[in-house]
Amino acid sequence: MARMKFLCDAERCIECNGCVTACKNEHEVPWGINRRRVVTINDGQVGAEKSMSVACMHCSDAPCMAVCPVDCFYKTEDGVVLHDKDLCIGCGYCFYACPFGAPQFPASNASAPDGRSTDWFGARGKMDKCTFCAGGPEENGSQEEFAKYGRNRLSEGKLPICAEMCSTKALLGGDGDVLADIYRERVTVRGKGSEVWGWGTAYGKPDKQSDAGSATGKAEQSS
Amino acid sequence: MVRTLLVAIWLVVCSALGGAAAIAVADDAAVATDSAQQQVNRQAQQPLNNAPVWRGVRSGAAHSTQATGREAGVLIQSAGETWRQIRNGPITLIGGLLLILVPIAIALFYGLKGPLKLHGQPTGKLVQRFSSWERAIHWSTAIAFVVLAVTGVLLLFGKHILIPVIGHAGFAWFATIAKNVHNIVGPLFIFCVACMFIVFVRDNIWHGIDWEWLKKAPQVLSGKAHVPSGKYNAAEKGWFWGGVALLGLVVGASGLILNFPNFEQTRFTMQIANIVHGVGALLFVAASLGHIYMGTIGTEGAYKAMRTGYVDETWAKEHHELWLNEVKS
Repeated sequence: MARMKFLCDAERCIECNGCVTACKNEHEVPWGINRRRVVTINDGQVGAEKSMSVACMHCSDAPCMAVCPVDCFYKTEDGVVLHDKDLCIGCGYCFYACPFGAPQFPASNASAPDGRSTDWFGARGKMDKCTFCAGGPEENGSQEEFAKYGRNRLSEGKLPICAEMCSTKALLGGDGDVLADIYRERVTVRGKGSEVWGWGTAYGKPDKQSDAGSATGKAEQSS
Repeated sequence: MVRTLLVAIWLVVCSALGGAAAIAVADDAAVATDSAQQQVNRQAQQPLNNAPVWRGVRSGAAHSTQATGREAGVLIQSAGETWRQIRNGPITLIGGLLLILVPIAIALFYGLKGPLKLHGQPTGKLVQRFSSWERAIHWSTAIAFVVLAVTGVLLLFGKHILIPVIGHAGFAWFATIAKNVHNIVGPLFIFCVACMFIVFVRDNIWHGIDWEWLKKAPQVLSGKAHVPSGKYNAAEKGWFWGGVALLGLVVGASGLILNFPNFEQTRFTMQIANIVHGVGALLFVAASLGHIYMGTIGTEGAYKAMRTGYVDETWAKEHHELWLNEVKS
């Protein structure tokens, strides 16, 4: 049984926002809602800038699921955390609990998926979030499912569009074991053997002349 | 001369503020550069070691992003987990126990002691205790309070109690109504509480005699002793100050923060507000059960006073002697 996961490789993400655009386009996500976003740390600082793409991480012990007052979340057999918009009351508790800021609410003046206005006070509409391209409780591929949750690619045997579209393959989505194998291979090839994370602490700086010097440039290209 | 002085003061203040602002900006920039510099240094010593970056991810600080929206630049907000533990833990458990144990305690008290009855015979002479304005405020506050309590309890405990009985779809139907009613009645309740405070505060000012009443409270409540009191006795004043005023303010203010997320308040603010709101509201409901008991079946004649506005002179003499004297004089 697959356990679906996302992995973002900070060494590869180039902040192109392709994943964000692909997601919005695939699911026809309403204005003001980003199921996925790219965040850049040390933006513009040469040698220190890293970007990563973040969305719902489909947690095992999902905080949103734990705090939902109407228990509208469920987990598929692939470990994907989905929710039922027919049950959601728009209380925002999942948004308080989620560390990744994944739950989104139609902004003021927006409308709920069924077209009703939700502009009471600052009332939130039905929560919307990344579905790992796995739709919702409606029939797979149905019009209702698409209107509420977007496309159900998993049921068609496809992986999430964000990861599939990623130009540098920084963002990976799929079975955790497969992702782990891919990433492990990357890490072993990237840089040089003697510079694998943490070794410098125990063994000191690598010798610039011998094993370290030549590999840096190559590793950047090949990883 | 005065004008020169004012200009001089203005310049000093401006330069001080400007200086402070400049220092603050420089500090922020320094922090950002520090973290970036650490990453650069780390990369030089240990290529591919991104520990400083991951510390930045974990810090909860906002970084750059193209996404618009509140806190979009924050990658990991850790306090939500704390909020979850407190809400799903002690608030639900202790709050639930409180709402079960308080009614049991009241029922036991009622079973053992029974209601507070009048000792003397009613005279038939009526004294006005509450004006129609006071009663209107009391009952609007009371109705709003009960509606908020029922809908709030439904939202906190319904998942555990009602979903197993009526199912997810059935409960979601109730919860949708509960949430919207709670959000609309909430501000009305705050308005009622404000009116209530203004109208009732004069007679609720604490006097020396109230300490006497408190000291003998057990005997007074079981009808063994009598301490004269003004329009309100110490327990009623306690409910006014601790309940209506304090909890009303705390629960009201935290409720507004949650009800109007239109002001760019962060998740952290709302997590804190939710905890304060939950704790305050549960205490409020538990305490209100005592007030409702004493105002209905717990004290003979009390309900009629708030219903009609009038009490019998005997009732007034036995419960609020000083007030009766004042009214009669």
